[in-house]
Amino acid sequence: MKYAVIILLVWVNLFNHPGQSLYACKNVEISLFSSAPIEDIAATTSAGTSVYNATTGDVVFSVSIPTFKFRKSLMQEHFNSDYLESDKYPRATFKGKIQEPVDVTKNGSYPITAVGELDVHGVKQSRTIPGTLTVNNGALTLKSEFMVKCVDHHIEIPQIVFHNIAESIQMKVSATYAAAK
Amino acid sequence: MKKYIVLLAFITLSIGLRAQQTGTKMSAADSLLNAMNANEKPAPVDIFKSTRLVLSQTTKMVKKNNFNFQIIHRFGDIAGTNGGPQTAFGIDRVNDVYFGFEYGVSDNFNIDLGRSTIGQLVQLELKAAVMHQTTDNSTPFALTLIGEAGVKPYLPFPTFGSRLSYLAQAVFARQFPGVSLQLSPTFVRDNTPYPSLPGNEQQFFALQAAARIKLSNHTGFILDYAHPFSTFRSNNATFQDPIGIGYEVETGGHVFTVNITNANSVSEMNFLSTTQQRFSQGQYRIGFTISRMFDFNPKTRGDKK
Repeated sequence: MKYAVIILLVWVNLFNHPGQSLYACKNVEISLFSSAPIEDIAATTSAGTSVYNATTGDVVFSVSIPTFKFRKSLMQEHFNSDYLESDKYPRATFKGKIQEPVDVTKNGSYPITAVGELDVHGVKQSRTIPGTLTVNNGALTLKSEFMVKCVDHHIEIPQIVFHNIAESIQMKVSATYAAAK
Repeated sequence: MKKYIVLLAFITLSIGLRAQQTGTKMSAADSLLNAMNANEKPAPVDIFKSTRLVLSQTTKMVKKNNFNFQIIHRFGDIAGTNGGPQTAFGIDRVNDVYFGFEYGVSDNFNIDLGRSTIGQLVQLELKAAVMHQTTDNSTPFALTLIGEAGVKPYLPFPTFGSRLSYLAQAVFARQFPGVSLQLSPTFVRDNTPYPSLPGNEQQFFALQAAARIKLSNHTGFILDYAHPFSTFRSNNATFQDPIGIGYEVETGGHVFTVNITNANSVSEMNFLSTTQQRFSQGQYRIGFTISRMFDFNPKTRGDKK
């Protein structure tokens, strides 16, 4: 399997013509936060992955749900088993295109919007997500903040624990890309 | 087989990449992302919701700095000579009450303390998770080891040593889609054979088997069975194998179980040795378990930046 991955990577690079400028990040920081009457819900992970194609504007994100760390282990357990059902839907992904052209050779901060599909809990939603892309001597940093409504992704909140859980969750994403050679 | 998969991946990839140049869907970004995610660590599977089913303890551990408090009840016989409406089907009688205190020293090591009504048995338990079932099946099942030492401090015994009982158990469990199964080979040692009848053994092996059938994300149906491999008990027709069925509800920090079992007692050291109640004579009872998990890790309130 490892070999297959290596060969795949080499293959990708063989076809990586000049002008196909791919940027990758293996430690995307993603955090979720929601304020609730009894206790705030907060979790972070730095195990997200992302690839940005500066030529086409394609941007993809993927994160393994069980990598989200909560302060309270019981909360983390319920997040996985009851709400996100990570045994059935182990990943959340976003596949989209950044609408604005970004000049990766020129330093600066570019406000961007990504249009695409957000797949959480096995339910895909078309979303337009705002963010900022910063170019600093060839290193790219992408930051974004957006809301995810539980109901949009069929994440059921039982009545009995209703007060402990907010209906929409604030997500923060931060990725620092390096050029994929 | 693998070669073909790799070959197929190549073909689709190169088609994808060529197509990508003309602006269609399968993108180079996608392929690179998939390759990056290919060797990710598998996650452990949560096989059970609670540390106890009806009779058995499960492979579930109390996490680090968490504290699980349990109250377990066994009422009197529902039917038969001691049951019926005059005892409100056994509710009037309390045969056994067990208080359990379980603390997570680490995610894989717990120290538990328990106290039963029957025999006034006080028990100290050490529980260690040796391995966890993982999502990719690289570890196909979970194994937890349990060691217990119990003392009956008040009943008349000649020496302190004769008050002691021990139990060692290896708990194997696996979650299949919708069903969790568990097998626990057990060794029981009673310094004074219990119940103290002529010919009874000081030590014997036993096997516990249990299943949890998932009904919804928060509820499950549980089955529990135990068999002591003891010639004294096999030759003595009054001894019975403990059997339990139950319904489990989990609500945030609580887990509730309502069950019916012929076993009078809660602690393994008691029910593996002494169960003599028969379903056929109405000697089965309502029982319940309430467990509450307390988390001593700091609250998340005020973490907002």
